[in-house]
This record gives sequence, structure tokens and C-alpha cells, in this order.
Amino acid sequence: MTNLPPGDDRVSRRRYARERSARQEAERLLEERALALFHANAELKRQAETLEEAVRRRTEELEAAKQAAEKASAAKSAFLAMISHEIRTPLNGVLGMATALADTELEPNQRDMLDVIVSSGNGLLALLNDVLDLSKIEARRLTLETIEFDPNQLMDEVVALHRANAAEKGLDLLIAGHLPQGRWRGDPNRLRQVVSNLLSNAVKFTACGHVSLDLRMIGDRLEVAVSDTGAGVPEETRPKLFKPFSQADTSITREFGGTGLGLAISRRICRMMGGDLTFHPAPGGGACFVATAHLLPLRSGAAAGPDRACPYQRVLTERRWRILAAEDGATNRKVLDLLLRPLDLDLSMAVNGAEAVAAHRATPFDLILMDVNMPVMDGLQAADAIRAAERAEGLPRVPIIALTANAMTHEVSDYSRHGIDAHVSKPVRREELAQAMAMQLCVRLRARVEDRPQAE
Amino acid sequence: MVFTELLAMAEQAVGEDVVDEVLDGLDLDSGGAYTAVGSYPCSELFAIVGALSDRTGIDAGELQRQFGHWVFRTFEQGYPQFFADKAGALEMLEAIEGQVHVEVRKLYPDAELPTFATRMLEEGGLEMQYRSDRPLVAFCHGLVEACVAHFDRPMQITRTGGADGREALFVIREVR
Repeated sequence: MTNLPPGDDRVSRRRYARERSARQEAERLLEERALALFHANAELKRQAETLEEAVRRRTEELEAAKQAAEKASAAKSAFLAMISHEIRTPLNGVLGMATALADTELEPNQRDMLDVIVSSGNGLLALLNDVLDLSKIEARRLTLETIEFDPNQLMDEVVALHRANAAEKGLDLLIAGHLPQGRWRGDPNRLRQVVSNLLSNAVKFTACGHVSLDLRMIGDRLEVAVSDTGAGVPEETRPKLFKPFSQADTSITREFGGTGLGLAISRRICRMMGGDLTFHPAPGGGACFVATAHLLPLRSGAAAGPDRACPYQRVLTERRWRILAAEDGATNRKVLDLLLRPLDLDLSMAVNGAEAVAAHRATPFDLILMDVNMPVMDGLQAADAIRAAERAEGLPRVPIIALTANAMTHEVSDYSRHGIDAHVSKPVRREELAQAMAMQLCVRLRARVEDRPQAE
Repeated sequence: MVFTELLAMAEQAVGEDVVDEVLDGLDLDSGGAYTAVGSYPCSELFAIVGALSDRTGIDAGELQRQFGHWVFRTFEQGYPQFFADKAGALEMLEAIEGQVHVEVRKLYPDAELPTFATRMLEEGGLEMQYRSDRPLVAFCHGLVEACVAHFDRPMQITRTGGADGREALFVIREVR
């Protein structure tokens, strides 16, 4: 290892002694440092262990807190679902009866009173829907549909919905820009909700001038800008615009009403659709909200043929359809009866699923309206039984529409697995129910027309 | 430190020149240059002890024993803290494993230390089982003797086993 010089080349004794004591000093120093290092290491190790213990404890605490929070959140969702069901059921009665009442002869002041009942009921329903939507969003349970629709037609419908309110305030409601003709896939109901929310806000907060809807389609990106000539949004309140339960000013709540949930919900919906909802001050002081969403092109093969929408009045009066409604609540049966009365249908009632299955077996119906929660046999079991019998005996498939007060999307998605073709949520509105029924019967009418040559 | 102390003892006993001759006469990887803090092959230690034995005519075992005495004196001077709280030789010997070796490992974590399993005897005295990878029983014997001498109370030391130099049982008893 060490190469020592050979021979007798000597160093002085003094020099040798100095070197030797230098070596010993170095050895002593090294031991001293090594010991200091050892103690420093031991201290560090101890600290690391203390820290690890602290981290472990903290992690445990956080885990427990997280579990508690998740449990609370799940309890909240369950509570909301339950409350929603409990509120929707009586609201169904109120709105249904009010609608039926409107069909009768009324004094003008009675009609005014009825209008208040209907608009209050609708307000309550809107509020309930907002709270439910928000809870679904928070529970990450809001899901989107993907169905075929025509964006142009959708926008026309939304604008038509708000035209009366705008006119009442003396506001012009303008549509600028245009969308290319054609059908896309997406969630038209959620899109309608977003645009409707923006239009209703714009009309609400604009005293004079106009509200305009600017439409644009860039590739597969739908852009809807709603601008108004209202007071705009003060700069300091803009950051709060999209936060739930935070209207710009509490005085706004008193003056204009509303929950302050609409924009928060709309933004989340837009983001779920691959777009966003943003605020821009409009030139001249008003507000401008821009909603964007990605739409899906039609599946290849499903050519954008002629519009297959069914004019429901015509379909429903085509002939006297045999309709079976299975509904356990007496009030709800009465509501259905009154709502459907003007349509001149052959309507039969069953009070549970088992009765419905038996009645359909005895004399088959053209369409079945099926409540989901019923005693004896619930709607889903009844649908299962009917589908099983059809398969076993080669019978034609009867359309089944579920009527439900449970508006949770994840439940709705279960229905199709049980052979349910569509669903209408309670409180049932006449328009909505008639549309849904016509849509199903339309398919049946076409099928008959196409079948005829073979039948004869 | 074993190497530096061995050479220091040899220098005192036979003189620097003889030590130089002995080292020059051996083929050592280290070249005979040692520090107290390094570790060196054990074979070099036995080569040096063997050469010194040849040179002086003193039996290698006896050399080891004397070296034990020498190293003990170095301990006394260099690490008085180990002795400060010990009442006697038995207590000191009992503390080697649990105290001295612990401190040694702090400085030299890789040190290959022997083990000293001890047991206090009821009739007064200590049984100590020495085990080592290296045949240094005689060296250990010298250390024990020096330790007894340090506390200035006559004791009887008996050693059984140790033929291979790696394992032996020491019994240390007070002389009444």
C-alpha cells in the first residue's frame, strides 16, 4: 500500500517526534469528530422517528376526519334524495290539480289566483331542482345524457320560453349569429337548463333595452353568449358569481328572488360538457355570459335524416289509445286522470305492479305509465315481469314510461336495465308527459305502418 | 489502535531499529504504516507478533499477554472515564460488553469485536466466556490480569480452554 523509501535515509529525531505526535493528534481529532458525528446522527435519527410518528398520527387524524366528512356527505345526499321525493309527491298533487283546474270555467279573479298557485308551485319546483342539482354535483353524481338533438331547435325553444317575460318588461329578446343546420349528440336538457338560466338572469336584471343571444358553432364547439343592457356586475362581486349560495348582494335576493345556485350549477354543467361558463363585462355596462360545450357528431350510419320528432297532439289523437297507469297514490291517480282527460284516451288504472301485470296480460295495452315505488310489486319488478312474459310468448313490446319522484340520475340509469323505455319525473307536467307518450306511440305507429304489407 | 500500540510496545522493548528490521523483513500490504483509527488485516498482526517472537525468543502467547498489559495501560491513560465509576476489576470486566464495546462501535461501526459473556458467581467472582474470530485468548488474558492489577486487589485468574486461541472461559475470584 504505502511505498516506503528504501535504505537508511534518516530524518532527525525531532522531526520524527513531530510527525508522530501530529499523527496521534490527527487520530485523536478523528475520534472526537467521529463521536460528534455519531451523536449528531443519533439525534437526527431520533428526530426522524419523532417526525414519522407525528406524520403517522396526523395522517390517522386526517383519515378519520375524511371518513367522517364522507359519511356526513353521504348522509346529506340521502337526506336530499328523501326530501326531494317527499316534496315532489305533494307538489305533484298541487301542480297537477292546478293544471286541471285551469281547464275548467273560471272567473277572471279565480284565474289570477290560480296563476299565482301555478307560478309559486313552479318556483318551488325550480328551487327543488336547483338544490338537487347542486347536491348531485357535489356528490359527483350528476351524469349527462348523450342523445341526438337539433341545437337550432333547442335554442328556438329556449328563447320562446323567455319571450313572454322579456316582452312583459318591454325588453327586446334578440337572436344574433346562427348555427349550421344539423343534428348533434349531447345532453339537450342540461344545455337548455344552462341557456335558460342565463336568459332568465339577463331578463331579470335588465330594466330596459335588450337581451341578446349570440350563437356560434366552431367545429364541434357550441358557443352561446347571452348579453344584456342591464346594470352589469360590479367588479368586486365578479369573483363570487359562480360560487353557490352567493348572489352578488343580499339585497338582490330580496329584490329579485332566486337561490344564487343557477350560475354555479350552469358552470359545472358546461365544464362537464367539455366547455366552460365565463363572465365578460358587456360594452355599455351590461353583462355578458359565454357558455361553451362540446357536442358529439352523429354516429356514422345514423344519417341526419328527416326530423323524426312527433307532433304529439296528432299522434295522441290518431286513435283512442289504450293506456294503463299503475300508481298507488290516490292523489296521483287523480292528477293523471285530470291531466290526460283532454287527450281523450282509454285510460285504466292499477294500484300496484302486480295489478298492472295482470291487467296487461288480460287485455294488452298500447302503453303503460308505471310509478316506481309501489306496494306489493314495485314498478321495476312489474316491468321485469312484463318483459319476461313478452319474451317467453313472443308478444309485441309494450312501451313503458316510468313516473318517478326520484330525480337522482343514477337511479334513472337503472330503469333501462329493467326494460323501461322512458321516464317522466314528478310533478308530472301535462306537456312533458304527452310528449313522452307521443314519442313512444309514434314508434309503435311507424312499426305498424311498416308491418302492414306483411300482415295483409 | 492495536497495530500502533503493538509497535509502540515493541519499540520500547527492543528498540526502533529492531522494529524497523522486523517490519522490513515482512511482506505487509500496509508496508508497516499504521494509524490508530484504521483497520488492517488481522494476518499482519500475527505476522508481526510471530516475527517479534522469533527475534526475541519470547513465546508468541507470552508476547500477546504482555501486549494485553500494555494496551490496558493505554486505555487507562486514554479513556479514564471508563474507570471512574467502577469499584473493582469484576465490575470493570462485566462492563466491557455493555459499555466499552458500545462506545467503540460509535467510533468504529465496522469493528469486529470479540464477545465477553459474563456471569457473576454467587460465592464472589466472575465467569467470563471469551469468543473471537481471532486467536487472541492470550492477549485477552493479559488484559484481564492488567485489569485486576489496576484495582489493586489480588484475584485469582483461571483460564480453561483456549487451545485454538478463539474461545476460553475465564474465572476471576477474589483471593481471601
